Amino acid sequence: MSVSAITPPKPLAFSLLRLMADGEFHSGEVLARQLGVSRASVNNALRDVEQYGLTMYGVRGRGYRLIEPPVWLDAGLVRAALKTPEIFHIEIVESATSSNSMLLQRAVQGLPSGSVLAAEWQSAGRGRLGRPWHSGLGNALTFSLLWRFESGLSALSGLSLAVGIAMMRALRKSGASTVGLKWPNDILDDQRRKLAGILIEAQGDMLGPSVVVIGIGLNIKLPPSVSRHIDQPVSALAQVVTELPERNRLLALLLQELAEMLATFAAQGFAPLRTEWENYHVYQNRPVKMLLPDGRQVAGIVRGVTDEGALCVETGQGVQNFNAGEISLREA
Amino acid sequence: MDLRKLKTLIELVENSGIAELELTEGEEHVRISRNIAPSQQFYSAAPQHHHVAAPAPQAAAVAAAPAEPAAPEGHVVKSPMVGSFYRAASPGAKSFVDIGQTVNAGDTLCIIEAMKLLNEIETDKGGIVKAILVENGQPVEFGQPLFIIG
Repeated sequence: MSVSAITPPKPLAFSLLRLMADGEFHSGEVLARQLGVSRASVNNALRDVEQYGLTMYGVRGRGYRLIEPPVWLDAGLVRAALKTPEIFHIEIVESATSSNSMLLQRAVQGLPSGSVLAAEWQSAGRGRLGRPWHSGLGNALTFSLLWRFESGLSALSGLSLAVGIAMMRALRKSGASTVGLKWPNDILDDQRRKLAGILIEAQGDMLGPSVVVIGIGLNIKLPPSVSRHIDQPVSALAQVVTELPERNRLLALLLQELAEMLATFAAQGFAPLRTEWENYHVYQNRPVKMLLPDGRQVAGIVRGVTDEGALCVETGQGVQNFNAGEISLREA
Repeated sequence: MDLRKLKTLIELVENSGIAELELTEGEEHVRISRNIAPSQQFYSAAPQHHHVAAPAPQAAAVAAAPAEPAAPEGHVVKSPMVGSFYRAASPGAKSFVDIGQTVNAGDTLCIIEAMKLLNEIETDKGGIVKAILVENGQPVEFGQPLFIIG
């Protein structure tokens, strides 16, 4: 993987791109004057924007123009679209190594429940076990939500799956009627290509309280310059809806569904959500192969999940429950 | 403090190697103590085969048998949840800690993962890593000892 090949956009590039958000031509000279930098700096900063998933035209005599300029995140717009803005603390940054790591570090310093950190660009966005997450500028939503629970870590079993349900509810409200879940919480399109991933990191002890940081990466659009860097079949919201929701409104909708789900989960756990989860599972009653963390493989048919969120697989030795492992479809 | 929490606390003390737990929460104060045999305090890495006390003639032979590998003494770090045990942040990455390494309170020892919920386990005491009781990638139970820090 060539994650490190893409360096985060410089603050100057962000400033220029924001000035060009109208999609009109902007002369390099005017841009330079507006930001108080040299013409050469403008050229330099704009030279490499295509690697961030953007398309730009430079025309001699007219200047630069962004095709499909990104819709930038704006904390004010997100708040305005939230039903209960008072329970969130929203911060938006241009570039972060990983929004999960940043929130986890701040959790120790007492950051309140409901804190949100969304980053326009993540240079070290992570999936499970350090797998990198890619997104082009403005083409994805990458954010983390911090939530505090009274209970200890062992009571958080099933939280991963509950978060997947919240994502499903939000995406379906946005018109993505064909998306489904893959245990424990990948979000797939109807061709089983991944369009969003969730990574939850927790801190706490057996008795509680505990704090979790829920990291979400959702592809909205997928330009070829970005998909080249991803080594598995990927999809994006644009491929499963007829009309894309506005980015800030989408973030608000996701946050609202997450908060409602987290409150339900804190009160009742995963058990009452089990049936809804199974209805979303694209592997329900399908023959699968489970790759276990210790390298073993188990074949069987997915029969559902337990009240704690473990995957139930019917094998030759009866039904086995799994807390970890990677599912793949076993072609009949 | 509600009964449920108290019950959890008692179970916790019962299932752990600790002799006494004292907890103050606001104006509430609880102390749970129990009598335990010293041998219960330490986790054994492998099942041990105990020789049944034999009549006199064999006693010498028993004494001469190689000593059972005793688990090192020290502070036991346990798993707060059911999941898989990982010694590094990603496959192929350097382990957080190795045996013999000195750690400070707050250092990360391992990751426990269950259903893509990752929990970085930190040590609450500084010292030397005396034993790592679980293999990388293996499932662990709630309360299972993971490390001994001495």
